[in-house]
Amino acid sequence: MNKVGFILKDYLVLLMILGLALVTAIIQPKFMSPANLNNIMRQFGPLILVALGMTFVIVGGFIDLSVAGTINLVAVVTITLIDPLGQVGALVAGLVIGSICGAINAGLILTSGATTQAEALFITFGMSTVYSSLALIYSGGSTFHFWDLKEMPNMFEAIGAGSVGPLSVSFVIFLGALALLWIFHTKMAAGRAISLTGGNKTAARLSGVPIERSIVLIYTIAGFMAALGAIVLFSRVTTASPVIGAGFETNAILAVVVGGTTLKGGKGSVLRTVMGVLLVILLNNCLNLLGVSSYMQWAARGAILVFAIWLDNRKEVQGNQL
Amino acid sequence: MDTAGSEIILSIREVTKSFPGVRALNGVSIDVRRGMVHGVVGENGAGKSTLMKILSGVYKKDTGTIVFDGKTIDHTTPYESMHRGLAIIYQELNLVNSMSVGENIFLGRFKEMKGMRGTHAKARELLDSIGCKVSTTKLVSELSVSTKQMVEISKALSFQSKLIIMDEPSTSLTGEEMSLLVKIIHQLKAQGISIIYISHKLEEIFDFCDVVTVMRDGNVIDTKPRGEFTRDELITKMVGRTIENEYPERSRQVGETLMEVKGINTRKLHDVSFTLRKGEILGLVGLVGAGRTETVRAIFGADRVRGHKVTIGGKPVTIHNPKQAKDAGLGLIPEDRKLQGLVLPFSVEQNISMASIDRFTRFGFLIKSLEKGIGARHVKSLGIKTPNTKVAIKNLSGGNQQKCIVGRWMEIGPSIFIMDEPTKGIDVGAKYEIYLLMKEIAEKGGAVILISSELPEVLNMSNRVLTIYDGRITGEFDPEHIPADVIMRAALGLGGAS
Repeated sequence: MNKVGFILKDYLVLLMILGLALVTAIIQPKFMSPANLNNIMRQFGPLILVALGMTFVIVGGFIDLSVAGTINLVAVVTITLIDPLGQVGALVAGLVIGSICGAINAGLILTSGATTQAEALFITFGMSTVYSSLALIYSGGSTFHFWDLKEMPNMFEAIGAGSVGPLSVSFVIFLGALALLWIFHTKMAAGRAISLTGGNKTAARLSGVPIERSIVLIYTIAGFMAALGAIVLFSRVTTASPVIGAGFETNAILAVVVGGTTLKGGKGSVLRTVMGVLLVILLNNCLNLLGVSSYMQWAARGAILVFAIWLDNRKEVQGNQL
Repeated sequence: MDTAGSEIILSIREVTKSFPGVRALNGVSIDVRRGMVHGVVGENGAGKSTLMKILSGVYKKDTGTIVFDGKTIDHTTPYESMHRGLAIIYQELNLVNSMSVGENIFLGRFKEMKGMRGTHAKARELLDSIGCKVSTTKLVSELSVSTKQMVEISKALSFQSKLIIMDEPSTSLTGEEMSLLVKIIHQLKAQGISIIYISHKLEEIFDFCDVVTVMRDGNVIDTKPRGEFTRDELITKMVGRTIENEYPERSRQVGETLMEVKGINTRKLHDVSFTLRKGEILGLVGLVGAGRTETVRAIFGADRVRGHKVTIGGKPVTIHNPKQAKDAGLGLIPEDRKLQGLVLPFSVEQNISMASIDRFTRFGFLIKSLEKGIGARHVKSLGIKTPNTKVAIKNLSGGNQQKCIVGRWMEIGPSIFIMDEPTKGIDVGAKYEIYLLMKEIAEKGGAVILISSELPEVLNMSNRVLTIYDGRITGEFDPEHIPADVIMRAALGLGGAS
C-alpha cells in the first residue's frame, strides 16, 4: 500500500463530495444557482445536529437508537411549554429533557453492565419506544402548531427560517455546535477519555480512565444534540408532532459512518460527520435535480452506507499489516 | 548429524518486505532441507512472523524469490499454499470452535471425503498416526490447547504437507504436553516432513532443532547446525550484544510491611491473605486458572470483589475500581497485552500517556506539549524502538508494546507494581530490561507482585514466593534456599507448605 493510496482512502469522502458537485453542476447547471445552494445550506439543519451528537456515541464504542424517541418527546413538550414558560424557558426545558433522556440511557447501560455495542443498540432501541410513547401520551396523539399559540413565537421562527447575513440561523447554530464539540473532543481531557473508551474499554478502565463518566457524557451529549435538532426541526416546519423524529437515528448513524468514523469505536471526528452529512445531502440534491425517483434514492443511500463500512474494514486490513 | 545431505525443500532468496515506515525484511535468505527441524529464533520484531506470513500467503513479498518443492512461488494465498503442501500452525490456533475435531480437519472438503462418515474415519486415521486419542466428534471448544495443536497437525497432514511451520507452539503447553509435541515432531521428521520451528525458548531450540537460523532486525544473522552454536553465542547473535546473565542479581533491601491484604473470598478464591514488604518482589506461583490473576485483579479493583481488607502503609484503603487503585499507588500490567493493555488504533504517545492524563490537563484542557514530553521521555528511557511517538502502537513489536505499557505506569510511579505475565511473548533482551525495571522499582522502596508461567523467572526474580492452588495460598517460600521442585509441589496442591 503506497502513500497515495492511503491519502485517497482517508479523503475519499471529500473527493466524492467534490466529484459529485462537479458532475451535477455540469449536467444540471441549476445546481450552482443561489436558490439551490441556499437550499443545501438549509438542509444542514436538524440532521447534522443529531449526527454530531451521535458521533460521540460511536467514537465511544457504543450506539444510540433512542434519538428518534428523544426528538419526538422534546418537540411536543417544548412547543407546549412556550405558552406557560415563555420561549427561552421552553428552549432550556427542551434541552434539559433531551439531556436527561440521554443520561437515562447511560444509566441503564451502566447498571445493566452492558458493555457491547449490540447490547447498547437494544437498550436504546427500547428506550426510543419508551420516549416515543411518552410523547404520544403527553400529546394525546395530536399535533401542535405555532398558530395555535397565544402569540407567534418569534425566536423559534427565527431559528427555523431566519438569517444572519448570508447564513441561515440554523447554519450558525450548526457552526457553533461544531466548533464547541470539536474543541471538546480534540482538546479536552474528557474528550480524550471518550476516544480511549471507544478504542479499548478494558485497557482504558485498567489504566484508571473513568469509562463510566465517558458513557454518561456520550449519551448526554447525544440527547442534548437530539433536543437541539428537535427544536430546529419543529421551528422550521412550525409544527410539532409526536412522530416528527422518525428515521433520524438511522440517518444520523449513516452520516457518521459515511463520514469515516469507524463503528468499531475509538477513531472518528465531528468534522468527518460534517462531510458525511454533506455527501448524503448532495447525493439527494443531485439525484433530485437529475430527476431520479425517490425509490432509487433510497437504494443509493443504502449502497453508500454499505460502501463506507466496506471501506472502513478494508482500511483495517491494510492497517493490520504489521 | 548430517545436515547438508538431504535436498532443499524450501529456498528463500533475498526476500525483502517493507511496511509504511518500517523495513521488516532486508534481503533474507534461508534454505530448509527435507526432513529437518529448522529452528528460527530472534527477538520480537526481528522479522520471523513477517517471513512466515509471506510463505503462507498472508503478505506479498516486495522482491526476492521463493522456491518451494521445485516450484517458484510468487503470489500465493493461504488456501493455495496449504494445497501445495505448506502448512502453518499459528500461535493463536486457527480452528472453528463450534465444530467437531473431524469437521475441522476436513473443513470445506466433506465432499472429497464422501460425507461425514468418511470425514470422521479419515480424521481418526490421521489422529492415530500421531498418537492422539481424542474423539473426532468432540467439539474443538472443549479441547485443551495441546489437543488443538494435534488437530492442527492432523489437518496439515491431511494436505500431504511437506513443510509445517510452527509459530511459538509451546507458549501455552505444560511440560508433559510439550514432550508429546516433541515426540510428534520427531515422528513427522522421520516421515520426511520438514518443520520450521519458531520459538523464544532456547531450551527447545537446543533440544530438537537440527539447524538454527538467527534473525535480527529483518536480517538473517547466521544459519548453522545446532551443534555448532553455543547458548551464549545464540543469545548474543539474537540481541546483537552480549548478555552476561539472564536475570539480574536479586535485590536485597526488603524492609517493613507496605501492603496487607486480608480475606479475599470469591467463587474462585478462598481466604486469600498476604503481606507485601517494601523493596520486595513477591512471586505468585500456580497453574493457569489457580487464581493468581483473580487475586491481583481483586486487589486492583478490576473485578467486582467486596469484603476483603487492604491496608497500604498501615492505612486502610478502599479500592473498588482501577481508578481508586491508581490513586492508592498501585499499577498493573495486565495479563493480555492486546485485549487489556493496548488501545491498538492509538499512537505510541497516547498509549503511554493514558494513565496520566491528569498530569497534562489544565482546567480540563489537554496540554499537548506536556503529553509529547511524557511520550518522548519513556520512549527514550525504556529504549522503545519506534520511528516516532506518533506511530500507531499496533505497528510495534510485542516487546516494545509491552515497554509502552510499562512506561504508562512509570509516569505515575506506582509504589506497588503488579505485573501479570510481563514477559510473555517478548524476547530475551527486552525481558532483561523489564527485570531491571522491577528491581529498580523495588530498590526505590516500592514493591512488585510478579505472576509468571515461567518458573525460572519467578524463582530468580522474587525475594519471596507464594504458591496458589485451587484458589488457596498453599505455601510461602524463599526461592533462594528452597529447591524449585518443593515449590512446584505446593503449586500443584501436593502439600509441603513451610
